[in-house]
Amino acid sequence: MSVVSSGTRRGQVLRRRRSKKPGAGGPRWDSNLAGQSKLAPYLFSTPAIIMVSLLLAYPVIYGLYKSFYRADFFGGPEEFVGFQNYSEMFQDPAFWDALTKSAIFVLGCVILGLVLGLFFAFALNRVVRQLRILRSVTIAPYIISNVAAAVMFKLLFNTDFGLLNRTIEFFGLNGPSWLADPNLAMGVVIFCQVWTDLPLTILLLLAGLQTIDTSYMDAARVDGATGWKQAWHLSIPLISPQIVISTVWMSYSTLTGLGVVLALTGGGPLKATQTLPMEMYSTAFTDLEMNQALAIATFILILNAILTLLYVGLARRYGTVE
Amino acid sequence: MTADTQVATTVPPKTPAERRRTGSSGFKRVIRQILLWIPLIILVLWTLVPFFITVMISLKTRGEVFGSTSVLPNDPSLDAYREVIERPGFRGAFLNSVLVGLGTTVLTVALATPAAYAFARFNFRGRHLLLLFTLLPRLVPSLGLMIPLYQLAVTLGALDKRLTLIVVYTGMLLPLAVWLLVGFIQQIPPSLEEAASVDGASMWSRIRYIVLPLSLPALITIGVLSFREAWNEFTLVLVLTTSPGKRTLPYELYLMQGIQGIQNYPAEAAFTVLTILPFILVYARIEKYIVAGITTGSVK
Repeated sequence: MSVVSSGTRRGQVLRRRRSKKPGAGGPRWDSNLAGQSKLAPYLFSTPAIIMVSLLLAYPVIYGLYKSFYRADFFGGPEEFVGFQNYSEMFQDPAFWDALTKSAIFVLGCVILGLVLGLFFAFALNRVVRQLRILRSVTIAPYIISNVAAAVMFKLLFNTDFGLLNRTIEFFGLNGPSWLADPNLAMGVVIFCQVWTDLPLTILLLLAGLQTIDTSYMDAARVDGATGWKQAWHLSIPLISPQIVISTVWMSYSTLTGLGVVLALTGGGPLKATQTLPMEMYSTAFTDLEMNQALAIATFILILNAILTLLYVGLARRYGTVE
Repeated sequence: MTADTQVATTVPPKTPAERRRTGSSGFKRVIRQILLWIPLIILVLWTLVPFFITVMISLKTRGEVFGSTSVLPNDPSLDAYREVIERPGFRGAFLNSVLVGLGTTVLTVALATPAAYAFARFNFRGRHLLLLFTLLPRLVPSLGLMIPLYQLAVTLGALDKRLTLIVVYTGMLLPLAVWLLVGFIQQIPPSLEEAASVDGASMWSRIRYIVLPLSLPALITIGVLSFREAWNEFTLVLVLTTSPGKRTLPYELYLMQGIQGIQNYPAEAAFTVLTILPFILVYARIEKYIVAGITTGSVK
């Protein structure tokens, strides 16, 4: 890809954006201006730092600590049991089942989300005049809650009157019971989750496509690359940072996402959509085994941290290649 | 805002279709236009059909939902909306959502603004804590907070309180808010403040008359994102509220689907539409701030 490395404008764009990042340089001063006290920055930042530490950091540490304890009954006295909650979790077939369901859910969402995201981003990138209105349509799913999206998809996929089955009936066939069929329910859940997450993916990928210098496209055209070839060999490698970021974000959102699954299927039918977050939720609030559920929560958090670091590492490597 | 202007000023690369337009016949041009628009029509349908179907069902009667094969209601009626609004559960939840939304917005902006100013403008010990704001939310999803926050709220007697929800949501939103604002304040030339300082302006008046007015777009973006998050949040309100009358709209909507023996689909649809309505009413005005928030910060 000599074309890529020799590009100057894109390099500048990237460098400029990188320098905009908070914490990366930028003009700052010590207290040498009028009416400025040395205490000011501490006074200003302390409330926010305390809030974030108390509400984000402390509960997680508290949860981790509690996952090594166990109460004989709900609300009873807790005693230290070491790794027992974890060892029992790993021996529980329900846990492995939920892990498998989560893997299918995350992979399904990321793949479908990336394919649709790229498809729509490439389509939007060709629009000039109507871009604003199309973009505001695109982000509509972003403004509604997961529960509202789930209700909408329940209506859409209803066996008796859903638009989908009405359409199938129109062709003289009988539509399936989407949400009651264990094989199909996961598909509907993935579909709904992707619908809610897609606006972010599309906007990110579109922003990437719009920073590509037209001269690359011209050069590629001189070399005879058109359409699909150009997209595959030029545009997609050039927006690989945005693709990585979208992938990170979608796997984060689906691995730790509870709302859509809970409101759409509640884990059913026959536990067909019982993902890890659902397993954690039902262990805690149906079985009332809080400490055992905290072990699952810790497992999800660690998995999420590993995935995030992995992607960030990959993104760094992409960064240095450029 | 930066994202908005960026998108607006960057001219997308010319498409092959546009380039060859001069040399092609009218028929070919029409075909190309159709091919260009097919994916966009799919995008619009993909996005709007769920909304459209829900609105249509909300205007039907219960019998019509099953009986009629037509997508459009035969005789549109607002009965389902009346039914929903008359439920005490809805009105209480609506009020809670409004208050929690406004409280979260105000508290987030009030705490994020000074913190962002400190991080953007001062060299001080503790500046490295800015990293905390960028990493933590990625590592701590609300799912990981459900059980610990529930247990802490039980211990502190903080269940079923609007203030609890406001404080929790603010904690979750602060990292994004600070991060967005720090980036924005760093874009404001320090020379403006230095000039004002030479003229004797105190730090307070510099913030009041220079920094705040100039970062208004970022402040609005943060406000909109905060309100949206507080209004839509579901996982934490699910565990932090237990009694009727204390819940917010998403929780009440979630309960509504389960409780009734025979499901009242028009009412469910009407409830859904009513939870989205406040956003639809102001959509044209807030849309650009949402886009700015998404593209500059919410996914980092």
